[in-house]
Amino acid sequence: MSMTHHSLGEFEELVLLMVAALHDEAYGVAILEHLEEKLDKKLNISAVHVALKRMEDKGFVKSRFGGITEDRGGRRKKYYVVTALGKRMLDTQHEVRTSLYKQIPKISFG
Amino acid sequence: MRQPPKLARKFLRWFCREDCIEEIEGDLTEVFMKDSDGSPRLAKWKFVYRTLKYLRPEFLKSFAKYRPDSFGMIKSYFKIGWRNILRSKGYSFINVSGLAIGLTAAMLILLWVQNEMSYDRFHAHADRIYQVYSRDLNNGQIEVWGNTSALLAPELLQSYAEIENAVRHRNVFFLAKAGEHRFNEMGAFADPGFLNMFSFPLVKGTRNALADESGIVLTRSMAVKLFGTIDCLGRDVEVNDNDVFKVTAVMDDLPLNTNLEFSYLLPWNYMTRLGWDKNQTWAWTNAGTYVLLREGQDEASLESKVSNIVKRYIREGDGATREVFLHPLTKVHLYNKAENGNLTGGQIETVRMFTLIAGLVVLIACINFINLSTARSEKRAREVGVRKIMGAYNGSLIAQFLVESTLLVMLACSIALLLVGLSLPLFNQVMETSLHLELFQFQFWLYAVAIILLTGLLAGSYPAIILSSYQPAKALKGTFSRIKGAVDPRKLLVVVQFTAALTLSISAVVVQRQIKYAQDRKPGYDPEDIAYEFLQGKIPLHFEAIKNELIASGAVTSVTRTFSPIVRIWNNATGLTWQGSNDADKTTNFLLFGADADMSTTFATRILLGRDLDIYMHPSDTAAVLLNEAAVKAMRMDNPIGEMLRDSDGMNWQVVGVVQDFIMDSPYNKISPMIIQGWRDRYGVINYRFNKENSYADNVKKAEMVFKTNNPEYPFECISAQSNYLRKFRLEVQTGVLASWFAGLTILISCLGLFGLATYLAESRTKEVGVRKVLGATTFQITSMLALGFVKLVVISIVIGTPAAWYIADNWLQSYDYRTPLNLWIFLLMGLIAILIALITVSTQAIKAAMMNPVKSLRNE
Repeated sequence: MSMTHHSLGEFEELVLLMVAALHDEAYGVAILEHLEEKLDKKLNISAVHVALKRMEDKGFVKSRFGGITEDRGGRRKKYYVVTALGKRMLDTQHEVRTSLYKQIPKISFG
Repeated sequence: MRQPPKLARKFLRWFCREDCIEEIEGDLTEVFMKDSDGSPRLAKWKFVYRTLKYLRPEFLKSFAKYRPDSFGMIKSYFKIGWRNILRSKGYSFINVSGLAIGLTAAMLILLWVQNEMSYDRFHAHADRIYQVYSRDLNNGQIEVWGNTSALLAPELLQSYAEIENAVRHRNVFFLAKAGEHRFNEMGAFADPGFLNMFSFPLVKGTRNALADESGIVLTRSMAVKLFGTIDCLGRDVEVNDNDVFKVTAVMDDLPLNTNLEFSYLLPWNYMTRLGWDKNQTWAWTNAGTYVLLREGQDEASLESKVSNIVKRYIREGDGATREVFLHPLTKVHLYNKAENGNLTGGQIETVRMFTLIAGLVVLIACINFINLSTARSEKRAREVGVRKIMGAYNGSLIAQFLVESTLLVMLACSIALLLVGLSLPLFNQVMETSLHLELFQFQFWLYAVAIILLTGLLAGSYPAIILSSYQPAKALKGTFSRIKGAVDPRKLLVVVQFTAALTLSISAVVVQRQIKYAQDRKPGYDPEDIAYEFLQGKIPLHFEAIKNELIASGAVTSVTRTFSPIVRIWNNATGLTWQGSNDADKTTNFLLFGADADMSTTFATRILLGRDLDIYMHPSDTAAVLLNEAAVKAMRMDNPIGEMLRDSDGMNWQVVGVVQDFIMDSPYNKISPMIIQGWRDRYGVINYRFNKENSYADNVKKAEMVFKTNNPEYPFECISAQSNYLRKFRLEVQTGVLASWFAGLTILISCLGLFGLATYLAESRTKEVGVRKVLGATTFQITSMLALGFVKLVVISIVIGTPAAWYIADNWLQSYDYRTPLNLWIFLLMGLIAILIALITVSTQAIKAAMMNPVKSLRNE
């Protein structure tokens, strides 16, 4: 498999999944809130931004600027979408995880 | 609408990358809004916390934004800077001259300070040479003086291995004769090791010259005076009328920055051969003693060993409580005042004070510079706006303005150097120094360049930062805020300037008053018309004849012989006892004076009780004394006439009169108790009072003839008591002159600064003035409105400066027993004068502004 050997950290993977799930509506605060709800724990917005930035540098996401809203002190929102490379990354990860999971014997654990 | 914390937001905008700031700040704000629905205060803290979490390398701005300008850019800065200077000539002139004046003053002071610190440092072993001082109790006070017993040096050299060399030195006045040339000059007795210890350069001969018992060492000018050349080794010099010495060495004239003073050196044992130290004891301090410590020796440990030497040899009586201690040679000039028995102060305090003043003057000049620069800066706002639009970095702008201020500083420095060169002769004359600018020393130029750069940077940085912070949009539109903040820094600077100026002025006034106060003090005698000669040569022999001839010639009305000149005390006496005295009185120090007859008619002192001494009319007066009022008080005598007192040698003296206190010592000190003895001889001086009826020149001529006939070998000195009395004020007069000059300079610089500020403020309020005029205000009303603002500043300066000045003046006056009172009206008067000066300075600008045609000022350009 020709893969540029970028890695994807655990948190980055989560953020990327959320970006993909939110599809064109993914921006910092939205990603944060949905993740917090899904994971049921408090996250810091800076962690999300760091993940987004790293992934943008690696080419997994693309960004565009949206319109200004009152709520943000005159600042525009930056929306992220998954790139083809990013989607491929997610698929690969998912495949690996699923295949590993399938290898677990059907016994009851504790 | 709720806002996230401003400070945190500002901080974020400061450090964050431009391409991330949009989303980061937006997201943070959105989260904050949602949080503050719950708890607003918590939301704020959370915002701050979250902001801080963005301090990561990924989000930091790259601060290395300032790219060094190419050489062409810097050249353009110089060009434009120079053109700007020329464009506003008036302002540039004020700015440069203020700075130049300040730098000149500072340079002069620093030259002087450098000279003071350099005393006796040129000797090769200067760091190991110490002068030995004596310390003893006197009248219950600890006293310190620079002489020791002549027995000390040989003892030190012999008994202490730590001491490499110990020499004695004592000044003396002799007539030196070579052929037809004769000169009465001060020289010194010195031990053979003297020239080895001190590194005075020799032009002829060797350093062992003093080992020759019949050798004399001359200074260059003395050699030229006696022989016309320095090639005089081996030639004969007749000293003291009888003794012949051969010249064994010629040395360079002594530089001004040394404590020693002599024109020739004679071997120490010549004094012994003359019998002058016949009664030498350990208590009699008649020699300056200098020791050279071996390398690596510790001064403190040696001092603890030797301090009790004198006490060991003297069981009781004078000197039984005496200690000796070592004082480094390099400190002798600066630390010449003792406090509690240690030489901790003196000249060094004056040096420190003047260094402080130098710093203050430079500070004020720089403040001026900054003030004027920022005042003009708002005219440059448009230029800054355009430059920023064209893409100039803040750093480039700062560099440009720094170059401009450095140009101005360079200009000011060159002018300052010129001024220093011009004023140095006058300065040298007043301060009796011989300072000069070492223009050809590399070190000097190094310092000069360093100072220019430093001052340029320092003084130029504040205006540069202000200028480069202008926002282009606002600057081009013509509306921009003035300096923000509670206190306008420019006004603050003016207050500082005026406070300093006021303090200096008050100090100058106080110094002058102190001088006048001491000068006005009645000396207790009349120094005018008194002249004296030292009893040298044939004068003691022919004294009677001289006296009679002087009076007969009509030039002189009265003659008397005394121990010392009336302007100086040479002897003192302790250990006196009298009816009703106790042991403590034995330590009281009495000034010792002596006169043969006619003292009161010659000096015009007043006899209060009894009579004057006269050993001719009353031969018993050779065992009689006069007391001054202070002595009577110290001795607690109710009826002094007829009382007997006994001195430390066991001689008895009868009191025949009481004389009114007169000043022999310092006019700033209290009068010490004095006894005046009558002796057959043992006098050192002959004093004569000129006849007021004749002209001074006539009297001098006649007196000269008398002395020439009776004492042909010796030159006629005719030393004036009056001019010597006035010399007592010399130090304070110098201080007074300096203080006055510096006060004047500071005032000038402050006024320049005030003028600049006034110009700026007047210009910026033209529209306001125009409106007021239209509404009917008179010129006077407007002028006073403008001027009042400045008067407020001056009042603040007065409030701060007066207590400071009082503190300084009081401190300085404490060192004098006899001091002028610090009256309140001095401070009030100076305050009023300050206000007046300020008013005059600003009034020209205020009036100009008030008289402007309102049509012109209100018209929109």
